[in-house]
Amino acid sequence: MSLDQAFRLTSILLAGVSFIALFLESHLPGWLTFLTGVALILALVRVTASTDDSSPGARTGLPLVVWNVLVILGFFGFWVDCLISGELLPAGVRFLLVLMVIKLFTLRCFRDHLHLHVISVVVMLAAASLGANVWYFFLFLVYLFVGVWTLLLLGLTKQLEGPDMSAPPALASQQETRGSYGRLTPQVFRLANGLALFVFGVTLFLFFALPRLQAGFYQKGQGAAIRTAGFSDAVDLGSIGPIKRDPRVVMRVEPSGRVPDGKGRLYLRGIAFDHYDGRSWVNQLSRRRVVRETGPGIFALNGSRGEREMLARPSLKLKIFLEPLDTPVLFGAPFMEAVSGNLPAVQVDVGGSFYLPFPGVTPVEYVAVSRSPAVLPADLQPSPVVYHEAFLRYFTQTPARSDRIAALARTVVGQERTPYGQAMAIQDHLARNYRYSLEIPLAEQANPLEEFLFNRKTGYCEHYATAMVIMLRTLGVPARLVTGFLATEWNEYGQYYVVRQQDAHAWVEVHLPHSGWIVMDPTPPSEGIGDMTGSWQGWASMVDHIRLLWNRVVVQFSAADQLAIVQGVRISGATVGQKVWGSTSRWVTPPTSWRERIVDLYDRSTAGILAAGGIAILAGLCLFLWLGWKRSRHGRVFSKGGIQGERRAVTKLYTDMILYLSSKGIQKPVTRGPLQFLDTIRAQWTDAFPPAATITELYCRGRFGRARLTSEEYAIAQNKLHHLMRLTREQDGEMEKTGAGNGI
Amino acid sequence: MINPTETIRSIQNNVARVIKGKPAAVEMTVVCLLARGHLLLEDVPGVGKTTLAHSLARSLDCSFKRIQFTSDLLPSDIVGVSIFNRQKQAFEFMPGPIFANIVLADEINRTTPKTQSSLLEAMSEAQISVDNQTYPLGQPFMVIATQNPAEYHGTFPLPESQLDRFLMKLRLGYPMPEEEKKVLERTPSLHPAEELRPIVTAQDVLDLQAQADNVFMDESLTDYLLSIVQATRQSELLALGVSTRGALALNCATKALALARGRTYCLPDDIRELAPLVLSHRVMVAHAQGLRPRGFEQAECIIRDIVDSVPVPI
Repeated sequence: MSLDQAFRLTSILLAGVSFIALFLESHLPGWLTFLTGVALILALVRVTASTDDSSPGARTGLPLVVWNVLVILGFFGFWVDCLISGELLPAGVRFLLVLMVIKLFTLRCFRDHLHLHVISVVVMLAAASLGANVWYFFLFLVYLFVGVWTLLLLGLTKQLEGPDMSAPPALASQQETRGSYGRLTPQVFRLANGLALFVFGVTLFLFFALPRLQAGFYQKGQGAAIRTAGFSDAVDLGSIGPIKRDPRVVMRVEPSGRVPDGKGRLYLRGIAFDHYDGRSWVNQLSRRRVVRETGPGIFALNGSRGEREMLARPSLKLKIFLEPLDTPVLFGAPFMEAVSGNLPAVQVDVGGSFYLPFPGVTPVEYVAVSRSPAVLPADLQPSPVVYHEAFLRYFTQTPARSDRIAALARTVVGQERTPYGQAMAIQDHLARNYRYSLEIPLAEQANPLEEFLFNRKTGYCEHYATAMVIMLRTLGVPARLVTGFLATEWNEYGQYYVVRQQDAHAWVEVHLPHSGWIVMDPTPPSEGIGDMTGSWQGWASMVDHIRLLWNRVVVQFSAADQLAIVQGVRISGATVGQKVWGSTSRWVTPPTSWRERIVDLYDRSTAGILAAGGIAILAGLCLFLWLGWKRSRHGRVFSKGGIQGERRAVTKLYTDMILYLSSKGIQKPVTRGPLQFLDTIRAQWTDAFPPAATITELYCRGRFGRARLTSEEYAIAQNKLHHLMRLTREQDGEMEKTGAGNGI
Repeated sequence: MINPTETIRSIQNNVARVIKGKPAAVEMTVVCLLARGHLLLEDVPGVGKTTLAHSLARSLDCSFKRIQFTSDLLPSDIVGVSIFNRQKQAFEFMPGPIFANIVLADEINRTTPKTQSSLLEAMSEAQISVDNQTYPLGQPFMVIATQNPAEYHGTFPLPESQLDRFLMKLRLGYPMPEEEKKVLERTPSLHPAEELRPIVTAQDVLDLQAQADNVFMDESLTDYLLSIVQATRQSELLALGVSTRGALALNCATKALALARGRTYCLPDDIRELAPLVLSHRVMVAHAQGLRPRGFEQAECIIRDIVDSVPVPI
């Protein structure tokens, strides 16, 4: 593969990577995706199939004018699109892709490829501003890689090979045998590495310095959020069923400290419902009040419970990463007492559910502190308790015509007198005699609950829970239905629970006279839905862990983290200063043990690495800028004498070449023109022709044309001369051979 | 704005479809057109002189007239004549074949000096005077004259002073055997030049001529050109050196050649290549031996020697 072909290939790959990034981050129209894909494949095929370097774009058929007209049409289309859709950025993205397609079809010259690079950069930026997906990170890595290769090949195709410019010819001629023409040279590697370093440095700088949006800046608010069911103020019976097959991740839950009970089941409470009208549940106690902020970012309920209770119930701390949902509910283990995190405000309703003021557009990270419910021994003995009338009105409400259910409840509980015993009996009955199935569309039934209890005897969590609540209520035991998630999927890599849509669940809370609300679940454990095989499971959980890390480290990287880094750098800077000052005394006083020193170093390593990294980046940037300055100064020196100076310089170069060639036996008569002499060179020494042609062309342009020459052109010509001087003229050897032959 | 290099190349390619194996002659013909010059084609009969002129004319979207010169041709047959119009009761000028963009003057040395000079006046002035009335000729205007050096019976050779009006004198020569074979394999029924389609318009030609004027010639190259001209005047082999008009012609032709080669500046090579073509018919050989054509060949050799003796600027 020729360098030029490779360069064109990487250019198209660059465009392809940026397109994939955009495709993954935004919702592109299908036709545009298809068109771009086809254009990319066609361009790839054309590049890989063509061996003719001279006219790669000649086969596109349509003349350039047509493409230019298409660009203009696309521009108008962009404004029309903008006006119709009312969104500037998505319309701009579509226009960008149209531009890319047109460019892919009109890749004729070097400049077209540069245009393609610019478009791909803009597409990459657009993709970054449209979302914060973990895939972007990998695509960015690939993009960086391909980008560096493109730059490298760009340098190569511009014929920047050869030895260092400042190397004197004498030194250069020592390397004659190596013949580095057309190969990768240290200079090119330095160029590529420098650029890669520069890009990396700038990226890191931007990463740490720019404020975070914690989401795609132009991400669509509601459209991107996951639709949930069961977390509004009114829920139809059977509405959870359809989402029980949706494997999308809703949240990730990291228990801190004690891992909850060994079964690996974690209830994440959403909303409690108190009123059932025979078809749907309503949360009548949904009036919310604002939770007071007791500390920076900490929202805690007033300690209403007694000291004794607080001690009796162990607390559970969960760190929750909530994806953007269409509900403002903040989930947590039952029963939440405090929430902390970077939240604008927190509300709580009478049922004990926590809410954000509005549904989160971005992923939310918070810590939920809960007290697990426990059954106190007092509740195991029957004891008459008088509830407040209003309490009973809400929590022992039953729908009309529930006599049959009441009769069933009485049969099930039998001789049990305590509320707890009755609840356990009903739970056992339901779990034992009913079958779990997602296939049952009970929602259409006039009375889905009776249908479940007496006819079908199959259903899912909502039916079980509703049945239990209503049965308890007919017995006079206060109970309510709770929706939420039941986390069962434990990620070994990250030590956290993965909660998916399909983990949506409904269960029962029963009020006991002494213990208060306790959690009960009549639903039998369902047979594992979509149980994955071992290795695939491991792989999937690793990917999920990477995604969590991405969200936590990159997307959720906040201003507070930036401040912490700056402080860390300051502290470690001070530490370094102290070390430097103290180093003299260290050599005098006996050193502390190595172990202590290593521990000491380890303690400061985090800040130290950051400081060292920052200094390295700064140094790299300075070096790069200095090199650029040096280079530009070189350019200035060349053109200091104006056009006359350039003319002198290029004439000097040409006469040097003539002198060298005459030393090799190719004389230039004073009456011959430069082009004629070039023909002579071609005839007498074919190897010397390409460099001589470059030098002659530059000489003619600079000497006889009024063209201004750039320092790059001059540098290339200089390299060519050095290259020419390192060539060995084969003819000498041949002449010797023929001479020897004659001698024999 | 048209791309000069590509346009010029397309004209050349078009002509070369008919004139096989003579790219240099075709290029020089186009250069002549770009330099606003007139061309004298001199060679033995049947090597494609007329076809070359014809193909060039067909390649340009210009008016083309052909005048076959014979001994009884009159000046009015070329420039036109005033005829009395009975209805208008006035003389009316009927323009002759010279009123065309490309005029092919075939066998120019077969007509009388009187008729020759009427053509040559039109060539240098680009206008016609009849009955005290001046008529400008169309632009672009180019005369391609052919003459046969082999036959001398009943011919009136052009004197040097009139040859000076031609920018270049070209010889075609016999084609190479394989090229000649291609010529023979062509369908004989149709004249080859008739197949050609126009490539450029008259306005394009004028634009190209204007661009040729703008080609840059370095001062050192002007000095080089003048030193060649000076050398012809001092040469002992030549009785008459190159005139200032000759130097001017070489200057124009050099710029046109540079444009045709895709450059915006002249090179010494351009001057070296053009000098024999532009200068050899403008000099008189001191001791010409044999007939006139021998004298022309000698002049060309002498000019080449002179060019090879003048050092080029570095």
